[in-house]
Amino acid sequence: MSQDNGAQDNGAHAGSGATGANGTESTTAATTDASLAARAKNPKKNGPKWWLISLIAVIAAIAVVVGVTFAFSANDEGQTDTSGASGAKYADSVTVGLKLAPTNLDIRTTAGSALDQVLIGNVYEGIVARDSKNQVAPAIASSWEESKDGLTYTFHLNKNMTFSNGDKLDAEDVAWSINELIAKQYHDAEALAAVIKVEAKDADTVVMTLKTPNSNLLWTLTGRAGLVFDKDAKYDLKTQAIGSGPYTVSKFVENSSITLKANEKYWGNNKAKTPTVVINYLADDNAAVNALKSGDVQVLAPITETLAEPFASDPDKYTVKAGNGTDKYVLAFNNASGSKLADKRIRQAIRYAINHKEIIASRGGADKALGGPIPSLDPGYEDLTGLYPYDQAKAKSLMAEAGYSTDKPLELSLTYANIYGTELGDQLRSQLKPIGIDLKVNVVEFSTWLQDVYTNHDFDISLVDHNESHDFYSWADPTYYFGYDNKDVQKLYNEGVAATSDKERDAKFAEAAKLISEDAPADWLFNYRVTTATAKGVEGFPFDLNQTVMPLYDVTYTK
Amino acid sequence: MRFVIHRLALFVVALFGLSIVIFAALRILPGDVASVMAGVNASPARVAQLREQLGLNRSLVEQYGDWMGALVRGDFGTSILTGRSVTALVASRAAITFPLIIVGLLIALAIGLPLGCAAVLARSARVRALFHMMSIIGGAIPALWGGLLLILLFGRGVGLIGILPSQGFPLDGWAMPGRALLSLVLPALSVGIIVGASIMRYTRAALGGFADSGYVDMARSCGMTRTQAVLRVGLRLATPQLVSVIGLTFASMITGVMVIENLFALPGIGNGLVTDVGNRDLIAVQSELFLLAAFFLGIGLIVDVLHRVLDPRMKTATSLSEVSQ
Amino acid sequence: MSGLSIVLRSIWRRAEGRFALIVLALWVVVALVSLVWTPQSLWVTDGYHVWARPSADHWLGTDGTGADVFSWLMAGSLTNLLIVLLTVALCAVWGLALVAAMVARSAALSSVAVVLVDALISIPTVLVALILAVPLGASIVVVVIACGFGYGLNLARIARPAALLAARSSYVESALSNGAGGWRVLVSHIIPNILPVLAVQLSLSAGTAVLAESGLTYLGIGVPSGVPSWGHSLATSVKLINVFPLTVLWPGLIVTVVVVALNVFGDVLRDAIDPVANPALRRVEEGDGKAGRGCMPNGIFETDKVVEASQSCETTENHAGNAAAVAIRGGEHNGGEAYDGR
Repeated sequence: MSQDNGAQDNGAHAGSGATGANGTESTTAATTDASLAARAKNPKKNGPKWWLISLIAVIAAIAVVVGVTFAFSANDEGQTDTSGASGAKYADSVTVGLKLAPTNLDIRTTAGSALDQVLIGNVYEGIVARDSKNQVAPAIASSWEESKDGLTYTFHLNKNMTFSNGDKLDAEDVAWSINELIAKQYHDAEALAAVIKVEAKDADTVVMTLKTPNSNLLWTLTGRAGLVFDKDAKYDLKTQAIGSGPYTVSKFVENSSITLKANEKYWGNNKAKTPTVVINYLADDNAAVNALKSGDVQVLAPITETLAEPFASDPDKYTVKAGNGTDKYVLAFNNASGSKLADKRIRQAIRYAINHKEIIASRGGADKALGGPIPSLDPGYEDLTGLYPYDQAKAKSLMAEAGYSTDKPLELSLTYANIYGTELGDQLRSQLKPIGIDLKVNVVEFSTWLQDVYTNHDFDISLVDHNESHDFYSWADPTYYFGYDNKDVQKLYNEGVAATSDKERDAKFAEAAKLISEDAPADWLFNYRVTTATAKGVEGFPFDLNQTVMPLYDVTYTK
Repeated sequence: MRFVIHRLALFVVALFGLSIVIFAALRILPGDVASVMAGVNASPARVAQLREQLGLNRSLVEQYGDWMGALVRGDFGTSILTGRSVTALVASRAAITFPLIIVGLLIALAIGLPLGCAAVLARSARVRALFHMMSIIGGAIPALWGGLLLILLFGRGVGLIGILPSQGFPLDGWAMPGRALLSLVLPALSVGIIVGASIMRYTRAALGGFADSGYVDMARSCGMTRTQAVLRVGLRLATPQLVSVIGLTFASMITGVMVIENLFALPGIGNGLVTDVGNRDLIAVQSELFLLAAFFLGIGLIVDVLHRVLDPRMKTATSLSEVSQ
Repeated sequence: MSGLSIVLRSIWRRAEGRFALIVLALWVVVALVSLVWTPQSLWVTDGYHVWARPSADHWLGTDGTGADVFSWLMAGSLTNLLIVLLTVALCAVWGLALVAAMVARSAALSSVAVVLVDALISIPTVLVALILAVPLGASIVVVVIACGFGYGLNLARIARPAALLAARSSYVESALSNGAGGWRVLVSHIIPNILPVLAVQLSLSAGTAVLAESGLTYLGIGVPSGVPSWGHSLATSVKLINVFPLTVLWPGLIVTVVVVALNVFGDVLRDAIDPVANPALRRVEEGDGKAGRGCMPNGIFETDKVVEASQSCETTENHAGNAAAVAIRGGEHNGGEAYDGR
């Protein structure tokens, strides 16, 4: 051991040499001399085996690290246990693991359903809300009437409403919020293009006047377009949020987490049952799974079916359930006239060649086949999967008609964002190969996709999860990126929007959707259903639609 | 002193050059933050309006001038998306990356230095060969794989001996130092083993060089054993080189740990940079890249100067040709 | 030619040399075979058998699309071979160009080159790759340029002392006075003198390139999706460690073994190619100047860029030698030793 000390001494000397700034050679030389002299007086011939000592030292160091680790982890568990014991019936806090994180809280200007998901209904409230069946429900307005011609909507508001900062919420705030949205062209203002004006008739009545009837209006107001902000509050929308919902944002770390605390001034019936809900964004799937396993989060949404398997097979500890949603995985073709896909036969061949069942099976089987542009939760849904069943022979003959075969393949590129993973591209390439399509897959950043495909329309085939509900209008807009221009569809869509009854609207939309699907301007790979896994003891977490509407007030966790 | 001024001037010129490269490279990126903010259902008019509001339509020279002007005043700008100052963003990420690389480096030193010395001191050729192979294998492990194996061994939930948090960083950050440190153990260990192997290799090379030199012969003639001579004289002589290595290793680890940060889901500097590039938050990205470049060049500068200071032989040297003639 | 066979023979004579040669040969053979045959087609997917366990059909199981993991690994060896060869070529060309500039007779050119290398060498490869990936996206080119660029700088740094000695030697003086051009001098005088350093550094760069590929591909800026590579296999298998952890073993093991082989190869090559250490070679050709010690680079942490610090010291050590020791002990300044750069 004395040898060991000697080595440490030496290190210390060297260190002091280093700190002694200008490292005057004389001192260095002196110490070297001194030690040499010291050694000379006290020579030792056979030292112990140095390599052995070093090895032992390393092992000892590792052992210490492991030991400390054990001690710490034991401590850690102790802490969580005591905090759990102090809770009465429900735990004081629930941690929810989500995937796509918002970069800021500015719901007026920043797109992305991550904001809708966490803020709408929890922190901000709309004039009306959306329930788990995707239907319009009362919120700030307790009731409303629509005039016969569909041009005037009168909303009757609840009484004694307040914002989380204590300000009163009345018709002035409602009218101001919507007018501001239109005037400043905030996100989703396009959806209110038909609105002429919004007025506060008295403290709890708001009247909205339209140029043309819009059967989608109420539903639109359940989203960002109908959110009510505090007219008098001044705050940084990017990092704070002041709304009237059951929760307030107490802490926001961009791309990482949001801590919600119960709003003490909340006015309504949806009072928060759990005082603190932490939203933890886990972009990495493995990290997410491990977080649920180790109890860092109590809820995980979404989780892939494959990764959910261990949880599903352990029903004593976990609940795994797939919920309905409006996510449409759209394989959009470039329908512009100069495109290689302007030939309808090729588009149809692709639709026949894709084995949707196999793709869904490879993803774990939770998703639902979708044959057209409208998902089951949206108005006008009809099962259209029968239009283009998997039929490779038919696909081949259509390609042959168009002049292509496996010997003379058609080269197409598929461009999509890396957030959807590489598997879908690989599968599509493999499925289209036998019919004579050589698919080149470009997996790019989302922002690159936005530029190349969405803005510049520079693509053959694109793949996106169009997760928004009620986005059927994109098929009636020839300037949208897939450039689908069908006058009959546009006419039917406009008639559907102008319809004054839901039944009439649904019929028109369904008719248009069928026309679109037959035309094959895209293929709908599947209707993605979100799989959610929760720890046993979690109650009240929504399974349906939870990637856009995720009311948390009812969530509780009992250990 | 002239040397220091010379290096300082070089530092400034290089930084300026890099700022232009960084700025220009980022403008080639397809897509911009306006379309990211506007999203998939936005009209072109909306995107154009946002672009106008965010000042993305101004000329590049103007934008570069603004950026540079602010930089000179010490203002690194404000991230367009998050609305937070780049300084704050970088600070919160550095609070994860720096502890990670410091712990990693400590582990690396704890492994590398003694084993490197041992590799030189071992008498048996077979033992020396064993140490040599250890260092080669340690340096040949892909960081990603090493990290995965550690997760599979020790990760809570997946590991054979699941005692350590495998991924992620506590939400409270350093408010609970124990937990935070614990979540850094596995990533730091994966970094430490790999860097440790190269430090071991390096120590071996540096010390080995001196072990065969006249310095050690001289010390032995004064009565030291070979072991003592190598450790006392050789190690001291090798110190300047070791300091250089450790300094530059430390610097390169900042981006070197990107893979590890990614694997262990730690929101550090590397991860943040990738996120910001993905969002086309160019003001943030360019300042972050600039800070990184300045950091690397700065460490290079410090190491150079320190090396001079530590190694007295370098005081008067001006060029190799002088010596060789 | 006889020099080459002597070098190869002396590599083969050592056990670790045999290991390196066998692994590298196996790598090349597998890469070539994968051109014409893999157990399963790479492009066949099977949605009903994803993440399957190893079986007779799929020796290492299947990935998330139902494709055969073993076949992808085989095909990956070709991509990695290509990356390594391109990186080494770029590194050699760029490194030699820098060496030539650094030892040029024009003081302006050489000092600019030295300053350039000094300034750029502390920029890590990952950062270069990140900036390159901006306009190029994920691509093999990013890996090759980022690695070749960084390792070329490193090579230049390490080879400079030996090159400088050669360039200032009386042979070169006389060749120049006989009217030889700069290019002639580079090819016939400087390159032969730095050949040992060059060979060692290039084989080490090859190992680092393999490591860098896996890291960069995992970060999404390396090999693009749909192109088989070891990094691709490693990155894919990361996704299923929770479901089927053992798949992770294979790609990592292959990378480790190959990189070990490349590094060992560099080590053994240094001894074999060095006339001082290899008497057989000395009889064949006259070499002068001991090569700098090879360093072991690590793709991610890049100590290699640093190790050159010792290189220049070590090489110059041989010239300054004991005089420097005396200088230190006596606190004198007369035995100063050049330390270019750091």
